[in-house]
Formats: sequence, C-alpha cells, structure tokens
Amino acid sequence: MKTQSAINTYLKETGGWVASQLEACTRCGICAEACHFYQALGNPEYAPIWKLEPLRRAYEQRFTVAGRLKLALGLEKRLTDADLEHWSKIIYEACTVCNKCAHVCPMGIELGPLIHEVRAGMAAAGVVPGDLAEATEKQRTIGSPLGVTDEIWRERIDWITDEWEVDIPVDKAGAESLMVFTSIELMKFPDNLAVIAKILNQAGENWTVSSKGREVVNFGYFEADEELTKLFMYRVFKAAEELGVKKIIISECGHAYDAFRWTAPNIMKVPAGVKIVHITEYIHELWKTGRIKLKEGAFDAEIITFHDSCKIQRRGGIIKQPREILKVLAPSSFKEMTPNKEQSMCCGGGGGVISIKEADANRYAVFEMKLEQLQDIQAKAVCMVCSNCRLQFVDSLAHFNSTLKVHGLAEMVARALV
Amino acid sequence: MDWTEILRFSRGPLLHVALMIFIVGMSYRLVRVLLLGWERDRVPNKGSKIWGVILNYLRSLVVLPFIPWVRRTFRNNALTFIAGGLFHLSLFVVLAFGTAHILVWKSLCGISWKSLPTPIVAFFSATGIISLIVLLINRLTHPVLKLLTRLPVWINWVMVFLPMVTGFIMARHLWFRYEVIFSLHLISVSLLLIWIPLGRISHFLFYFFSKTIHGSQAGKRAIVP
Repeated sequence: MKTQSAINTYLKETGGWVASQLEACTRCGICAEACHFYQALGNPEYAPIWKLEPLRRAYEQRFTVAGRLKLALGLEKRLTDADLEHWSKIIYEACTVCNKCAHVCPMGIELGPLIHEVRAGMAAAGVVPGDLAEATEKQRTIGSPLGVTDEIWRERIDWITDEWEVDIPVDKAGAESLMVFTSIELMKFPDNLAVIAKILNQAGENWTVSSKGREVVNFGYFEADEELTKLFMYRVFKAAEELGVKKIIISECGHAYDAFRWTAPNIMKVPAGVKIVHITEYIHELWKTGRIKLKEGAFDAEIITFHDSCKIQRRGGIIKQPREILKVLAPSSFKEMTPNKEQSMCCGGGGGVISIKEADANRYAVFEMKLEQLQDIQAKAVCMVCSNCRLQFVDSLAHFNSTLKVHGLAEMVARALV
Repeated sequence: MDWTEILRFSRGPLLHVALMIFIVGMSYRLVRVLLLGWERDRVPNKGSKIWGVILNYLRSLVVLPFIPWVRRTFRNNALTFIAGGLFHLSLFVVLAFGTAHILVWKSLCGISWKSLPTPIVAFFSATGIISLIVLLINRLTHPVLKLLTRLPVWINWVMVFLPMVTGFIMARHLWFRYEVIFSLHLISVSLLLIWIPLGRISHFLFYFFSKTIHGSQAGKRAIVP
C-alpha cells in the first residue's frame, strides 16, 4: 500500500529534530506570507505549514497522546492514498523548497527541510509528478535527467571546445580539481561551460571534467528519494576518488550545491579530504588571490541586479562574494532588488518545479512577482549563479515578452577577464 | 452554593493536582521528543553555529516582535504580528509583575521582587485581552488560519482567554464577590494547566528547540538567521 510506505518513511525520518519542530508550531500562519506560491496564487493550501500535514499526522498519530486522542475521537483521520495524491501536487508543484518560510516563522521552524521530508514519503510511495519521475529515471539509467548519453556528452564537450576555442581537460589524471557541470548547461547554456573553462584556464588551475562523474544535477534530491540522491552523488564522488582530486567544484547549480555541500556527509560516505566548493565562491577566491584580474566597470552601461538563489545564497551562504565581484564589474550601475540576500524571493523554478509541465502556470504566476521587483528598480539586466534559476528566467521572460537580459556570473567574469 | 468551600478546593487540591498534571505532562512531552534521537551533524561548518544561535535569539526577542517589517511579512500580516507580540508582552508583564502573581511565585520558589504599579499592570492586562480577541477575529477570517484551525486550537483560545478575563475582573473588583471570581480564576487556571500538555500552548517549551535549530543552521551556513 502506497500510504504505508509513506508513513514508514515519515516515522523513520522522525527523530527529535523533526518532532521538536513539529511540536513548536503555533498554527499562526505567518509562513504563508513568505511563500511566493501562496502570495501569487492565494491558495491557502500553499501555506508552508499546511505542506507538512502528511508528516505531522503520521508523527502525531504514532508518537503523541494528543494525536491518538484525535484519532480515537474521530477529529482526525489516518492518511490515505488520496491524501498523498492531493499533497503530492502541493509539495512538488507549488513549493521550490526555498526555505524562505523558515526565515519568517516566529518559531524559526526549518520548513524547507521538513517539506523535503514530506517529499521523501511521497517518493517512497511513488506518488511523484510524472515529468519529475521520468527525468529522475533518465538520470538513473542514462546518467542525465535530460537524456544526455555518454556519446552525446563527449560530442558536446568536443563541440564546445571547438566552438569557443577553449581547452576542457577530460579525465585528466593528477588534476587538482574536478569540475562538474549540469546537463542544463551542457544542452541549453553551453557557453557556461566555455566561460568557466576560460576562467579556470586563465587562473592556471589544474582541473578536469570526468566522463564518469559528469552530472552534478540531482533529480533524486528533487524527489527526495534518498537512495537515488546518494547514487547520483556517488557517481561524482567515485570519479573524484579515481582521479585523485583535492576538490570538487560545483557549477552554477543550486540544488546540487545543497546536496553535495550540506547533505552528503550526513547521508553517505564522502571521500576524505575532498573539498566541495561552488564555482561562484571559487571564482571569488581566484580573483581575491590575484589569479585572475577583472576589468573594472565592464558592465557599467545599464542597471544590473543580482538574483539570489535559494540554495546558493539563502541556504548556501555565498552572499557577499557575487556582490563583491558585481561591484567591480558594475560599480555604479549595480542595484539591489527588494527583498534580497537571505530574504530574497525564489524565482519559482527551483526544487524541480520547472521540470513539471503541469506546474507551468504556478511558476509563471510566481515569476510575475519577481518581474515586478526587477521593474521596480528599472533593471535592464539580471545576474545569477544558478542554471536552474537562469532557465526559469529565460523561459519566463520570454513568456512575459520582456527584453531583460539574463547573465550567469561566470559568463560576466569571463567577459571581463584582463 | 458555598463559594468559600469552592475557593478552598480550587486554591488547594485542584490547583495542586493541575500543577502536577502540567509538570508530569510537559515532562513526558519533552522526554518523548528527546528520546526520538538526534543524529550527529557531520557537515563541515562554513560559519559559527553558536553565533548563529545567539544572533537568532537576539533578533527574535529584542528586535523582531516590535518591528516585524524587518522581515517584510508585515504587509499582509500586521495583525498577527502586532496582536501576537502585544499578547505575549502583556502576558509576561502581568504574570511577572502583577502583585498577586508575585505572591504566587514567592510561594512556589521562595523569591520575590518588586511589582509594577497597578495601573500599568491593569493596562497590560486589558491589552492582552484585547489582543486575544483581535487574534480570534483574525483566525476566524484569514483563509490560511481557517484552514489550519481545528478544534484543539479553538480550545487553546478559550483556555487562555478565561484566566485572563477572570483575572482582570478580579483585580478590578468588578461585578462578582471576591470568593466567586477568585474561584473562577483558579478553576480556569487549573483547566489551562491540565490542557497545556495536550495542545499547542506547549510551544513555549519547543520554541527553544526550533529557535536553536534555526539559529545553528543559519550559523553553520554563515547567513543571517
């Protein structure tokens, strides 16, 4: 039975960490105001705390006196398959696990990670939106959620090498760093591979990509299927171990950074002595240590702003580095959106939402709010450090017929190299 | 009805039993959660967990309750923030600095302190009651709160409202004879104490868990909580 698998997962995941936070909730509903899906669409079921209902019910009915009393008195029912189907749509199609809600909760409940646990139950029960499940399956069998096979990957790398005339070392033994890209970059933003290669080469970095650990995106993590999450990271860790690298550089991808940097050590064995860094913090380091030099004011012609990605800024802490670089590239035209940094609003495409066709209306509605924030400061261009956000921006700006330019930070840095 | 007898019962056995149920019930809740186990965090820190926790408490206790727009959730939720903040502040002032309550603390822990002037305590007492009514209206009308509020939450409201109202009437010497209103106040307090372990008023305890978790997560990631 589907529901039992979900309940078993919830009970297994419910340690003190989960229980104490579920107990802390006062049902004040303030989290709803932080949720871009609730704000844009007004559906009360999109309130972050309501997204935890399946987990809360499983926990209370098993572990608390009040929960058992409610069951006995008929005030509350056990979870059913229909409930799972109902909440699956809410938590996969109207939540990007951006965790802004945690920052407005008066009790500080980490709603994002708890919603991830709710997703874990759904994944165990197999109640995952079809598009997301399909992409995950492709990553499991082919190695990429976009269906990039080994052959396509090699052809694509060769093509990028020729087209942009950059050197991309493949499976180079003795390299210091393993650079891992996303399929989104490979297929939709191939220039991002070229510009990152250009930056690393200019800095004299001893780096490589790996044909075995070639996908940094983790659709298992979007689904919250722990076994698949581990499998997809294992491929990269194994490649890193075989190549003997000292660090893994995660390209412009939010969820991947969250999975590798903040989750992996808690759920699996990670190679000892291998550092995980995001490309943005690494570019910042290269610039700070003088290994690359930037042309000041290279992008000072028009108002440019920075979009904070939930997993890299709010959840990853890489907040000041991109801003320091932008203040060099666009010292007089860089302008902050409101809200920003930890309080910024997610683009609406994260957490796997963009891969689910049925969620398109939701993410466009959310993006309209982002567009307003951009228009409020008369931005002509926006910079970001996550390809998933970039995909959402490019697609949604076209949807709303906006002429706003979208930049990846690495791309801007590469163009300003001196 | 002999109200002197009722008062003797409610300030004696009833209150003591209620207090015992409260202590045992809350201890059970606490132990139950603690026994569910805590996994060790193996992720290397980027910032300081302890600093994140300190900052989180400072921000939420000193800054945020009174200037909610810091987090930009003020626009659509002014009522919950202001009424919620004032309710907690009032509760604290009345419980900690009302003359009668100081006597209770003295009998319980043997220490006492100076009370605030009666008009100030009365003002906060009224503010607390008004805030609670505002919160009720908000709960009855806000679409999210309507969805979230089930029977136990309504019971919470009644259980908190009764001691506050009876306490206010007693302190202002309104309408009722002293033994009557004092008995009603003590009975409602006892009911509240018995109810707390069953409902979400227990958040005063779990607040420290969630706040610490959020602060340490923020500190570990080097972000402002």
